[in-house]
Amino acid sequence: MVIATAARKNYAPHKIAFYVGLVVVWQLVAMVDVWPDNIFPSPYDVGEDLVYGASNGSLFYGFATSMWRLAVGLAISIVGGIILGIFMARVEVVNQTAGSLVLGLQSIPSIAWVPLGILWFGLTDAGIIFVIAIGAVFAVTINTYTGVKNIQPYYIEAARNMGASGGKLVTNVLLPAAFPYMITGFKQGWAFAWRGVIGAELLFSYLGLGYMLYVGRSLNDISSIVAIMLVIMAVGLVIDSVVFKKLENKVMARWGLR
Amino acid sequence: MAKLEARNIVKYFTHESHRLQALGGVNLKVESGDFVCLVGPSGCGKSTFLRIVAGLEEPDGGQILFDGRPVTGTGPSRIMVFQEGALFPWLTVRDNVEFGLKIAGIPPDKRADISERYLDMMQLTKFAGSYTHQLSTGMKQRVAIARALVMDPDVLLMDEPFAALDAQTRDLLLIETQLMWTRTKKTILFVTHNVVEAAVLGTRVAVFSNRPSTIKRELENNFPRPRVSEDEKLMPFQHEILQELRPEVKKSRAGPEYGRAGSESGGGKGGRP
Repeated sequence: MVIATAARKNYAPHKIAFYVGLVVVWQLVAMVDVWPDNIFPSPYDVGEDLVYGASNGSLFYGFATSMWRLAVGLAISIVGGIILGIFMARVEVVNQTAGSLVLGLQSIPSIAWVPLGILWFGLTDAGIIFVIAIGAVFAVTINTYTGVKNIQPYYIEAARNMGASGGKLVTNVLLPAAFPYMITGFKQGWAFAWRGVIGAELLFSYLGLGYMLYVGRSLNDISSIVAIMLVIMAVGLVIDSVVFKKLENKVMARWGLR
Repeated sequence: MAKLEARNIVKYFTHESHRLQALGGVNLKVESGDFVCLVGPSGCGKSTFLRIVAGLEEPDGGQILFDGRPVTGTGPSRIMVFQEGALFPWLTVRDNVEFGLKIAGIPPDKRADISERYLDMMQLTKFAGSYTHQLSTGMKQRVAIARALVMDPDVLLMDEPFAALDAQTRDLLLIETQLMWTRTKKTILFVTHNVVEAAVLGTRVAVFSNRPSTIKRELENNFPRPRVSEDEKLMPFQHEILQELRPEVKKSRAGPEYGRAGSESGGGKGGRP
């Protein structure tokens, strides 16, 4: 089969060649001096900034600050989203009322919550966490709702028949049965949260990687801006491919879905 | 006093804006230790009747009496083995079998003792750590039976549990089910559309009529056990069941609802959301 062969073929050499080529071309373009260095940094300049940022700890500090906010905001959105999603799926009146509002709120980008966050919480961690949590919560809600709605009815019947009801039904059947969908919600929620935290930090100008981008812009320090962008990209890739891929693979394998 | 008694159970279905009567007053008495097989034409509502006994559906009329007292709602005294098994894919075989015990708040070490016994009875010990998708259909039904037995229900309700099995696996499970019944002395209500299955398993076979269904006739079966499906001495009994059943099947195919309902199972499962 064509697809199977394509998947099995090892493209690692192509990948390495592509990225090495990209850096070389980038360096060449920078060396030709079409644009001044403060508009178009060379990869060497960016690398220097990365090393400098790593050695004086500023990159780690920024990274840790952003991650801490992200973790708190995402945790709030996951807990809140699961509770709201289950209620929407199991209580029709909640679905018809709050559920319709959720669909609307979900279309608001995280960044649009920043003004409210600043007015309600001031330029504080709480304000940024608010932006992250509210930006991510509805993705978790909607996927949890879909997951619970798609549970095979006989799972719930069998569980009720064996005496499960109320909280026991939720923790022993609804949550685990909806989990494959909920992971999708966590993934989307994380993606919104990661974009949200960087955006909020830029506008709140209060520590974190987003704030460091803002400082870079103020100082016209283009190589540090690109260096921080690389860090943001790397963090995103690592979390996607390590945390969520692993979680997803584990659940899929257990359910026999692959 | 009968262990379980159904008094004049009536059930209607609404199917695409027309109402049809599935159960037209079903009466059945089941004594403790009985193994009653319910047979009937497809869509006659025998599965619905079982779901009403389980408390998973409300009848539109009539009463289910349990030890002489009317019961409503579902619960572990009447445990259902579903046609699809309804095993939880996120749990191992052992955790599936222990599910009801966990819900009942029984501590883990005691749960393990109990589940061990039934895993052994259903020959599942080797598969205790597997997830359900790794099992064959026959194995899944064994797990479903073990999961039900663990609850030590007063009545075991089985809804065409062997319908999806190949012939060899079914023959094996027919023998194991008889062994299980002689060992546990459970009261069993077993829905099937398979006459051979009913003749092999039941101490009594109740034949459902076409919709609106009632129990048309009950046949005693005192044949010695273990019975096997190819036993020729069972043939006359099978014929007797078939003779009751055949006119009902014919009626169900000719019936006016049949064409409109669209499918044979439309009546039997129509009550399911």
